Amino acid sequence: MKCSIEELLIVDLAHTIKDGELGFTGLATGSAATIYISSIPLAAMELAKRTHAPNLTILLCGWLFNPDWSKLERLPESEYDNQMMELSCESQMIEYPCNWSHKAGDISFGFGSGVQVDKEGNINSTCIGEIDLPKVQLVGPIFLPEHMAHFGREYIMMPQHERRNFVEKVDHISGVGFPGGREGRKKLGLSGGGPAYIYTPKCIFSFKEDGTIYVKSIHPGISKEDVIRSTGFDIGDLEDVPLTKVPTSEELRILREEVDPKGILLNSAK
Amino acid sequence: MNQRAEKLCEMEQAVELIQDGMRIGLGGFVLYQKPMAFVQELIRKEKKELTLVGSAHALDADMLIGAGVLAKIETSYVGLEKFGLARNFRREMEAGRLKTIYYPELMALDRFRANREGLDFWPVNSLGGNDVLNKNSEIIKFDCPISGRPLWAVPAANIDVGIIHAHAADKYGNVQIQERHTLPQSTNTTIAFACKTLIVTAEKIIETSEIRENPHLTVIPAYKTTCVVHVPHGSHPTPTISKTRMDDEFITKYVDASKTKETFNEFLDKYIYRTNNFNEYLNLVGQNQLESIKEG
Repeated sequence: MKCSIEELLIVDLAHTIKDGELGFTGLATGSAATIYISSIPLAAMELAKRTHAPNLTILLCGWLFNPDWSKLERLPESEYDNQMMELSCESQMIEYPCNWSHKAGDISFGFGSGVQVDKEGNINSTCIGEIDLPKVQLVGPIFLPEHMAHFGREYIMMPQHERRNFVEKVDHISGVGFPGGREGRKKLGLSGGGPAYIYTPKCIFSFKEDGTIYVKSIHPGISKEDVIRSTGFDIGDLEDVPLTKVPTSEELRILREEVDPKGILLNSAK
Repeated sequence: MNQRAEKLCEMEQAVELIQDGMRIGLGGFVLYQKPMAFVQELIRKEKKELTLVGSAHALDADMLIGAGVLAKIETSYVGLEKFGLARNFRREMEAGRLKTIYYPELMALDRFRANREGLDFWPVNSLGGNDVLNKNSEIIKFDCPISGRPLWAVPAANIDVGIIHAHAADKYGNVQIQERHTLPQSTNTTIAFACKTLIVTAEKIIETSEIRENPHLTVIPAYKTTCVVHVPHGSHPTPTISKTRMDDEFITKYVDASKTKETFNEFLDKYIYRTNNFNEYLNLVGQNQLESIKEG
């Protein structure tokens, strides 16, 4: 069965989720990044829940537990939209400190993004250039420092895969990857696992035991040369890298008919 | 002499509590239930060199920055969510006219918890290797006295004045939260307990007898409150749950106006400098528009 790049990523991502985990995702709307930051993560978690992970807990925007999308006609536009208040769920956070505790390790995995990611898996959402006189001012580190320090693992979702996004060294470390490998993280006192995967429209990166980045798979239809050319740091010749596994027709059926029958998630940025 | 003090006052009196150079905290969160009427009054009275301390900011910060009120901001985020980048913030940062000190989103709220606990700092285990730490000399590393693991002392928020917009208060300064609420509403309480001077703007002033009927909703008892200003629509164009929704149309106007310094100055002239008060601003927004965003 034919599938889109988004469906390919959703199903691959769903396979990496384990039963009993707690997954955290924000809600980014109104931008081209919506699909990568919100829709793919949510669809993957819903798919995992309906297949091998019935005990997965979904924490939406840090304040709604296990939302039920079935009554919605469209994706809410803002994290604290009045519409979100009415979204059916099992628990709402009403204050900070809240009903989940990132610093104590409650969050199994989360999703982050930025304009730059580097070979150590550091990500930048703060600025291009110098912090006090930036060439381009971005929004700031937001919750990324805490994600990358404490979550069991982080999925870095990159809607663009070009040399300007995949750089040797990020201009601002807003989320910490593997400086000095996994040992380096320990020395820095970071309790969480750090980045585990980077999903792009061209390939999926992962990190070896020592924290070194590598290309785990390349999407069907994308050439090795394209991935090498689009990545601003050395990733080898990619000779033995497999293709990203294509979903089964049953997985696509569940995704299309059960997870997102109205196209709320996957049509939101189209 | 033996009468209980009433704390109702006019906006003009409340804003006099702010002196140039102070550190202030604003209630609400990002684009939700922000004390925008007070923000406007800071601009109208041409306050200068303020430092805004908080967790995640949007229109409040961007407007103050565009009007030249802030010298510094301590935050995790300045952006307009679905409306895109905060253009005044971006422009002033890229011109080197504004200083931003970054604190991660929830850690930024821990800084207010420190003040609430009477402490000078809050200990966190999150910062190793991050440029939030590397570029901030006010965060101090120490070893956990129990386990020896690395920890960081993040300085308390230390605001001089807190300003919040509530949906209801009485004349003595009892402040109630909506029955249905979440982070943007509870952040008001976070701010309130982290400062000694608390300015409250309120959608409605209710009788103390009504307060007594629902004391569990009085999250800020009167003794904490310095003054109360009655300001319907006081969070416009940001929403106040149970009263108003977000005014998308007006925010879109704002975003267009903030494209250049010149067009933003025209916006400030029209809506703030040439209006005498928030009511005149609301008249410019228009009664029909305000009706269309009413809730409940």
